[in-house]
Amino acid sequence: MHQFWLAVGFGLVTASVIAVAAVGLSLQFGITNYINFAYGDFMALGAYLTWELNAGAVHLNIWVAMIGGSLLVGVFAVIVNRVVLGPFARRFERVFYVLIVTFALSLIILSLINSIWGADVKRFNMSSETPLHIGPFLLTVDQLIVIGIGLALMVAIHLLLTVTRLGKSMRAMSDSTTLAMTSGIDTRLITTITWFLTGILAGLAGTVLGITSASITPSFGETFLFVIFAAVIVGGVGSVYGAILGAVMIGLVTEVSAVFINASYKLDTAFVVLILVLLFRPSGLFARVGRV
Amino acid sequence: MSAAAMTTPTTTAAVLSGHDLHKAFGGNHAVNGADLAISEGSITALIGPNGAGKSTVVNLFSGLLPPDSGQVRLVGADVTGWPSHRIARRGLIRTFQLSRELQGLTVLENLLVTPIDQLGESLVNIFLRPGAVRRQERANVERATEVLHDYGLYHVRGNWARQLSGGQKRLLELARAVMARPKVLLLDEPMAGVNPALVDQIGEHILRLKSDGITVLMIEHNLGVVERICDHVIVMSEGRTLATGRMSELRGNSEVVRAYLGGVLDARLDS
Amino acid sequence: MAPIVYYAFTLLFFFAAYSVLGWGLNLQFGEAGILNFAYIGFVAIGAYITGVTSSGPPPAGSGESYVLGASLPFPLGLLAGGVASCLLAVLVAFIAFRRLRSDYLAMVLISISLVMYDVINNYVPLFDGADGLNSVPMPLSGTFNLDANGFLIFFALLSVGIGAVMWLVMSRITRSPLGRTLRAIRDDPDVVSALGKNVFRYQLTAMLIGAFYAGIGGGLIVEFASSFNTSAWLPAETFIIFAALIIGGLGNNLGVMMGAFVVPVLFTQLPKFIPDIPGHPGLILNLEGAVIGLLLIVTMWFRPQGIIPERPRRPDRFLAAQAPPAPPGGIDADAAEGPPPAPAGATDAETTG
Repeated sequence: MHQFWLAVGFGLVTASVIAVAAVGLSLQFGITNYINFAYGDFMALGAYLTWELNAGAVHLNIWVAMIGGSLLVGVFAVIVNRVVLGPFARRFERVFYVLIVTFALSLIILSLINSIWGADVKRFNMSSETPLHIGPFLLTVDQLIVIGIGLALMVAIHLLLTVTRLGKSMRAMSDSTTLAMTSGIDTRLITTITWFLTGILAGLAGTVLGITSASITPSFGETFLFVIFAAVIVGGVGSVYGAILGAVMIGLVTEVSAVFINASYKLDTAFVVLILVLLFRPSGLFARVGRV
Repeated sequence: MSAAAMTTPTTTAAVLSGHDLHKAFGGNHAVNGADLAISEGSITALIGPNGAGKSTVVNLFSGLLPPDSGQVRLVGADVTGWPSHRIARRGLIRTFQLSRELQGLTVLENLLVTPIDQLGESLVNIFLRPGAVRRQERANVERATEVLHDYGLYHVRGNWARQLSGGQKRLLELARAVMARPKVLLLDEPMAGVNPALVDQIGEHILRLKSDGITVLMIEHNLGVVERICDHVIVMSEGRTLATGRMSELRGNSEVVRAYLGGVLDARLDS
Repeated sequence: MAPIVYYAFTLLFFFAAYSVLGWGLNLQFGEAGILNFAYIGFVAIGAYITGVTSSGPPPAGSGESYVLGASLPFPLGLLAGGVASCLLAVLVAFIAFRRLRSDYLAMVLISISLVMYDVINNYVPLFDGADGLNSVPMPLSGTFNLDANGFLIFFALLSVGIGAVMWLVMSRITRSPLGRTLRAIRDDPDVVSALGKNVFRYQLTAMLIGAFYAGIGGGLIVEFASSFNTSAWLPAETFIIFAALIIGGLGNNLGVMMGAFVVPVLFTQLPKFIPDIPGHPGLILNLEGAVIGLLLIVTMWFRPQGIIPERPRRPDRFLAAQAPPAPPGGIDADAAEGPPPAPAGATDAETTG
């Protein structure tokens, strides 16, 4: 039982990481209507930029560096959308063109990270701490901060989508771009802002993934991608709240499974959940009725 | 049941019918208790204002969507909930509201893809019975060539279907359906967006299909065309069938006129 | 013989192997429209199964461990790889092919290949984990008494032969009514279903044939190199094959060959032989991905149909042959009956498939 509760604690940490990433991917999908297969590399880029600010060229506190690194990924995402993805999506009607282009971007970003930072493992510069007992959980302050970041972001996104005009425009666009345009929403501007915000989320997700897994490598975002996909599909593609619930579910399943099976396979249990959902409820567990 | 529905001719059996069909998208009840019967060998028009559920009925009939409840019968069998390929195999072929030509195939290939169970669609036959595959393919090509001549598309047979004009795409859609040798043909606005000359031409084609024994159900907004070529008219409104009968009878039906036609009907017929 | 000769035969081998891989993915994606982002997983299964079935049991004391050491003679191990890849295709199709939009399907497929990677990398008893297979016997080298260099040339030529057979088989498939139905499904599955065809069955057929090609291609690679491990099939490898198809010409088997030459041979095998820039070891290899990615994006923008585009097929060619020869300088009346005004460059459509 003790083991189980420890695992639940780690599950909440993992869930926070997945949630931040999955919400970003879902928001992007809602606005663009295609899946960004370079998302894992956006995350890796965020982790490396943070590393550069924290342990490379500059020596900032990890949390300050994280904000800087994530903002840079946000800017990068806006540029990528303006220069490459946006033009392709407007010109080609069939979605596979853009999907292939995101795949190409993934290769380019990975290759650039490899060229700039090398293939060897990097670590953030942060003090190691003794874990604290909180109820049945055993967590470090850093892990608690990661959970806090996850919670704070989820609340912020909820408020963004429900209270602000920007968020309402984003929701309108995700329902129908044409309708949003005719009702006077500046869809280009909303698209740009969405890419900025989701770029930041990818950067944050990459950094917290690096913090929780204690090391970063160029392809670590890419290999984490299927866990994010699992959360997004389990929650119902395109639904932000579904992505959050999916993330919690996948986070808990992967960590708790490590109590029972070899920990090297714990992420693969996300895949098992994904397959079960596909077999029995292909539109996702939490999908809204009438929405694909 | 309205008075007009009582006058439905019952001389021929229904080859296609829907009973108490329901289909909702989210909270929107697109089809809400529709009853339709299409008699064999007739041309039946399905009319009604936008959002009346006409296209959804066609989608339910053709198996593109399953109904939430209700029953679909086709040539004597209950086909409710069947996938569209099985319904097509029973002889029901449909066209789409927006032309859906197979863009990456040539015009000729659009027709050649139509026959079901071609020998050459099986991997085994391709390698073990190449002669039989070739003979069948030649027979199909010859028939497709005839159909293309009939529909005035022969001269563009080698073009990519995506290169056709809007009117040609309409003709191709019809030609492709004909190539499938259907018993029942569902046409979703076969004349939408084409010029008047082509409207007449497509009308002639549809009348010829009838004389070949094909039952036709068509969604159509052009009431002049409906009056000219259709035997029966089914009026839908708000997901229900409002009335059934001949165009001339329906014009006298105040319920129909109020719900849909209003003054528009006579104006359109006069024009 | 000079090293340059062995080097040329190595490139020839990769050209043949990647052509086979390209044709398989082209049938799935270029013809049937299945965005198979797990393709490299099928290649890997073919390679591993070919490797372990043609090797004997793991030698005692070598520290290696893997399943099945069946010591199958040459073509059987290769075929076992192809069949294993087909079995994987059946599994994948039944899990993922119903009711999934093409981009969700792509997400599921990429997840499948990542998980396969993870499991094979971690579970040592299966295919020796990250170390992989290292002593796959060189097929037929005993029969013909070949040394390593002789084997390299022999196997490169053998692979070209196998590739030629697979080219003939594939062009017959893509030219047949089956190929036409697959292209129709690529364009609009709803329409094909409304014509009475079971779309799932045809997609499954395309998956199976493509998977067989993937398995054979993978098997050839493991037999050529005598070794195979997880570093040979990183997810980016799937992308290399996609890039080859799109740059060469999607939906055209000749274009696929062109792509196999340009991308995997010119851009990934050749740079391995370019000397390092002093002070920057590995930089050229690291940048190779960026170069291929850029090349692909530029190609897709400026020439989306690829170097050798898909061509319209002419199944009615025999009618023209039967028709009486047109009078010289044929006048207007014949114009409508003449050969169709096919798009430019379609003169020998029958030879491409």
